[in-house]
Amino acid sequence: MRTNFTAAQLADPAIAEADQILQTCVHYGFCTNACPTYVLTRDENDSPRGRIDLIRAMLEQGGTPAPKTVHHLDRCLSCLSCMTTCAVKVDYVHLIDRARTYIEQHYRRPLADRLMRALLAFVLPRPRLFDRAMRTGRLAQPFASRLPSRLRAMLSMIPAQASPDILAPRIYPADASRKKRVALLAGCAQQALNGNINAATIRLLQRHGCEVVIAEGSGCCGSLPLHMGREDEAKRFAAANVDAWSREARVHGLDAIIVNASGCGTTMKDYGHLLHTDDAKSAGALTRDITEVLHDIGLITPPNPRAYRVAYHDPCSMQHGQKVIDQPRALLRAAGFQVVDVPEKHFCCGSAGTYNLLQPEMAEALGQRKAAHIDSTTPDIVATGNIGCMTQLARYLGRPVVHTAELLDWATGGPLPPALEGVPLPEPQAVQTQAAPAADAGFW
Amino acid sequence: MMSANFDAFFNEIQSKLGTDAVNRSDETLTRYGENTMPGGDRRPAGVVYPASTAEVQTIVRAANAHKVPLYPVSTGNNIGLGSRSASKAGQVIVDLGRKMNRILEINDRLAYCVVEPGVTYQAITDELMRRGGQLMLDVTSGPPQGGPLGNALDKGAGYTPYFDHFGFACGMEVVLGNGEVLRTGDGSIDSDKLVNWHTSKYSFGPILDGLFTQSNYGIVTRMGFWLMPRPPAVQSFHFTFPDDDDLEEVIELCRPLKMSNFVPTLFRVANDLYLSASEGQSKEYGSGKAFSTEGRRALREHFGLGAWNISGAFYGPNEAAMAPMIQRVRDHFMKSGKARYIDHEQAKSIPTLQVAINAFSGTPSLGELGLLKWRPGGGNIWFTPGTPMDGKIANEFQHLCRKIYEDHGFDYTVMNVCGARFARGLHVITFNREDADESKRADACYRAMAKAFAERGVFVGRAPLDYHDMHFAQTMPGFRQACTAIKQALDPNGVIAPGRYGIK
Repeated sequence: MRTNFTAAQLADPAIAEADQILQTCVHYGFCTNACPTYVLTRDENDSPRGRIDLIRAMLEQGGTPAPKTVHHLDRCLSCLSCMTTCAVKVDYVHLIDRARTYIEQHYRRPLADRLMRALLAFVLPRPRLFDRAMRTGRLAQPFASRLPSRLRAMLSMIPAQASPDILAPRIYPADASRKKRVALLAGCAQQALNGNINAATIRLLQRHGCEVVIAEGSGCCGSLPLHMGREDEAKRFAAANVDAWSREARVHGLDAIIVNASGCGTTMKDYGHLLHTDDAKSAGALTRDITEVLHDIGLITPPNPRAYRVAYHDPCSMQHGQKVIDQPRALLRAAGFQVVDVPEKHFCCGSAGTYNLLQPEMAEALGQRKAAHIDSTTPDIVATGNIGCMTQLARYLGRPVVHTAELLDWATGGPLPPALEGVPLPEPQAVQTQAAPAADAGFW
Repeated sequence: MMSANFDAFFNEIQSKLGTDAVNRSDETLTRYGENTMPGGDRRPAGVVYPASTAEVQTIVRAANAHKVPLYPVSTGNNIGLGSRSASKAGQVIVDLGRKMNRILEINDRLAYCVVEPGVTYQAITDELMRRGGQLMLDVTSGPPQGGPLGNALDKGAGYTPYFDHFGFACGMEVVLGNGEVLRTGDGSIDSDKLVNWHTSKYSFGPILDGLFTQSNYGIVTRMGFWLMPRPPAVQSFHFTFPDDDDLEEVIELCRPLKMSNFVPTLFRVANDLYLSASEGQSKEYGSGKAFSTEGRRALREHFGLGAWNISGAFYGPNEAAMAPMIQRVRDHFMKSGKARYIDHEQAKSIPTLQVAINAFSGTPSLGELGLLKWRPGGGNIWFTPGTPMDGKIANEFQHLCRKIYEDHGFDYTVMNVCGARFARGLHVITFNREDADESKRADACYRAMAKAFAERGVFVGRAPLDYHDMHFAQTMPGFRQACTAIKQALDPNGVIAPGRYGIK
C-alpha cells in the first residue's frame, strides 16, 4: 500500500514503524473472512484491511482522529486471526497498538468512556483492588437496574463466584531433584478471579522438577493498559517485571518465565519491542506458556487416567499470538483425556482483555457463537489457557470452564479443579475424537 | 446492456430483502473492486447479500426488470484470478458468502455433504471433525476460507483421489438468468422426495451441471460434494531432483505410478521457487531481471530442495502397512541416480513440504499463500496451461515458459500437478502492482505465454479476470456460437456476470 507521510512525520520512530507496516499491506483480503468482526458486520471498516486503511489515513492526516475511525478501531479485538491468515505477514499487532496509543493521545472520548477506561486501567492490573471492586459490585448487583447501562453491563459480568488467591513473593521448591528453575508471572486479574490456576500451575511445575519463584516486584504484565492505548502505563508495568526477572536471572538463574494467562504471554514475549532494552529482550526470550515448558519436560504418566471428553478452546493469544497450538492438546492427551477441537476454532470468543467490558454487544455475539460451537462437541469438560476466555466462555456456556493446567494437575496427582466440584461428570466413554480414525474403521 | 436503472434496482432489493441486504458504502465499493491483476480495479455499483435461493431469485428478477448486471461471488477468495472483482466495473456484486453459508446436510453413511456457496473448506473440515473425523473433503492448498462450491464451479482441484472438485460434485440447485430454479442430476425429477440428488449424476436426461462451470448462465445456490473416508494414516514421500531438465525424467517416472493408480494422490512436482517463495521475499527484487541461477541454487541449499521437488502420499491403516509401497516408490525414483529421498517425518519439519502433507490429508492450510509475497506490491496472476504426461513435451513447455518469464524479467515459479495422462501447470507471476512498468510487463508476459501455448494447441484451465475475453477469442467459432446461444436461452437479458469467461 502506498503511504504519504511527510519527512517530519517519519522522523518520529513510531510513525516510521507504522509506515513500514502499512506499506506491506497489499489488500489481498484473505484477512477479511478470518476476522470475527468483519464476519459479523460485513463492514469493510470492521475488517483488518479496512482498519489498516483507517489507520493510514489517521496517521497521515495527524491531529484529532475522526470518531468513525475510533469507532472501528475500538471494535478490533486484537485477536490477531488476521496475522495468521495474512499472506504477506503484515505486522498488524504493532500497527493496531500504535493506533490505539495515538487515539489515546489525540482523541477526547466522551466523559463516561474516559471514566470507564480509567477505572478499568487502574483496577484490573491491581488484584487486591479488583477483588474488592468485585465484592462491592456483587453487593450492587441487586440495584443494577437503577444504574447507567454501561455500569449495569459491567456488573452483569462479575462472576457469581471467584476464588481469589493473591500470591506473595516466594520460592516453591521442586518436589524431587530440580530440573529447572522458573519464574511464574502471578498476574493481576487472574489472581482475583481464580487463585487455583496459579496453585495448580505451581504444583504441576514442582511435580515436574521445577523450582518456582514468584519474583519480588513482578506484577501485571502491562497487556491490559497496552491494548487500551495507555502505552506509558504498560511500559511501567513491563519495566517493573523485566527488572524483577532480570535480577532473579542474574542472581539465581532462570530457565524460563512461565505464563499461564496467554494474553499476558503474548505481550511478555514482545517485551523487547515494547521497551527496546536488552533485559527486556532477554525476558521476552525466556517467556514460555506453561504448556510449552511442560511439553518440553514431558508429562509424567498419569496414575489414574480419566478419559473425559475435553473440548479445548484455543485462546487467540495462544493460537495467533504465540502459535502455541499443539502442546496443550498433546499434554491433555498424554494426561489421558480425549481432546476435541471446537469448530471455527480460529475465531475469538469475544473476551479479548477488556473488550467484553468495552464492546459488550460484539463480545456477546461472539461469546454466544463460540458457546454454541463448544456445545456442539458435547464435551464433558471445557478447557482453555487464558482466564479471560474462561470467564467469557463460562458466562455464555452456563457451565464451568477450567484451565489446562488445572486438568493436568488433576491428572498427575493434584486435586479436582474446584470449578468441577459438584459438577456431575458422566462415566468416560470411548468415543471417536479428532485423532485419526481407528484402523478398523471402514475398509483400510 | 443498456439503460440500467440502479436506483430502482437497489430500492426494490431493499424493500423486498431489507436494508441490510444492500451495501453501497464507499469503502465497500472500493474494496470489492480490488484485485491483483495488472488491468486495474473494477469498482462495482453495489453489493447485495441474499440469504436464500428465493432471495437470489428476487435479485435476479429485479436485475432483469431494471437491466442491472450482476456478478455473484461465493467466499471471495479467488486471489490471482480476480478476487471479488466483477468482470466489468459497474456490475452489482451478489455476495453469497455473507448469509448463504450453511452446511445443509452431511450424510455420514453415503459420504456426501451439501453446502451453500459461502461454506468454506475450514467450516466443512471443522464439522467433519466434530462428527468424529471419519470423512474428509478434498481441499486446495489455497486459503482455508475459500470454499468448495466456488472452486468447483471454476474447475479448481486438490490433490487426493477426490482431487477433481467438479467431478466429485453431485447435484446442484441453480437460479438461472431468467430467475427460474433448476435442479441438476437426479434432482431434476419433479418430486419432493429427492433420494438420489447428491448420490447420482447420470440418470435421465442431459447432464447440465457442466454448463455452470466457468460461465455465467446461472447462480448456483446449493451443491453436493462427495466425501472421502478419512484414512487412519497418511504417509507422504518426497524426492528432489537437482537440474531443471530433470523434469523430463520426473514426468516419465510419475506417469506409470498414476496410470496404474498405485499412488492414490496426484503428484505435486514443484520447482525450487514455487516452494521457497512461500518462505520469504526475493532478495534480488529490483534488479529488473529474473531471479538468478546462483540465487536459485542458494535457495535450494538453504531449504534442502531440488530444482524439482516431487510429493505424493499413500493411505492406509498404519505406517507399517504402507512401508512396502513407500519402498517400491522409492526404488522406482532412486533408479534414476539423481533423486534424493525425503521421508514423511523429515518432510513434516520442512514447511514447504508440510503444505503437501496437509493437502494430501484434507487439511486446509495457509502455508502456500506465502508465495504471493515473493515480490512486493501485491500483483499476481495465475497462468494454468497443461501438458500431457510426456516428459519430452513437459520439458519443452518448461523451456518455453521459463524463457518468456525471463524475457519479461520475472521469476519462473511453477508446480505441475500430475495425474495419469495430464498435468496442470500452476504458474504464478508475482509482480509489483504499484509499479506501472512492472504491471505492464506482467501483462505482456501472461499474454505472450497464452499466445505461445495456444499456438501449440494448449489451453489454460482457469483464466484470470483480465484475460477472459482474450481466451474466449482463442476458442473455435462453433464453441463461441454455442456459448452465446445458451446465454440467450438461459439469461436472455444477460444479467448474470456479462463477460465472465468471455460469454456475453
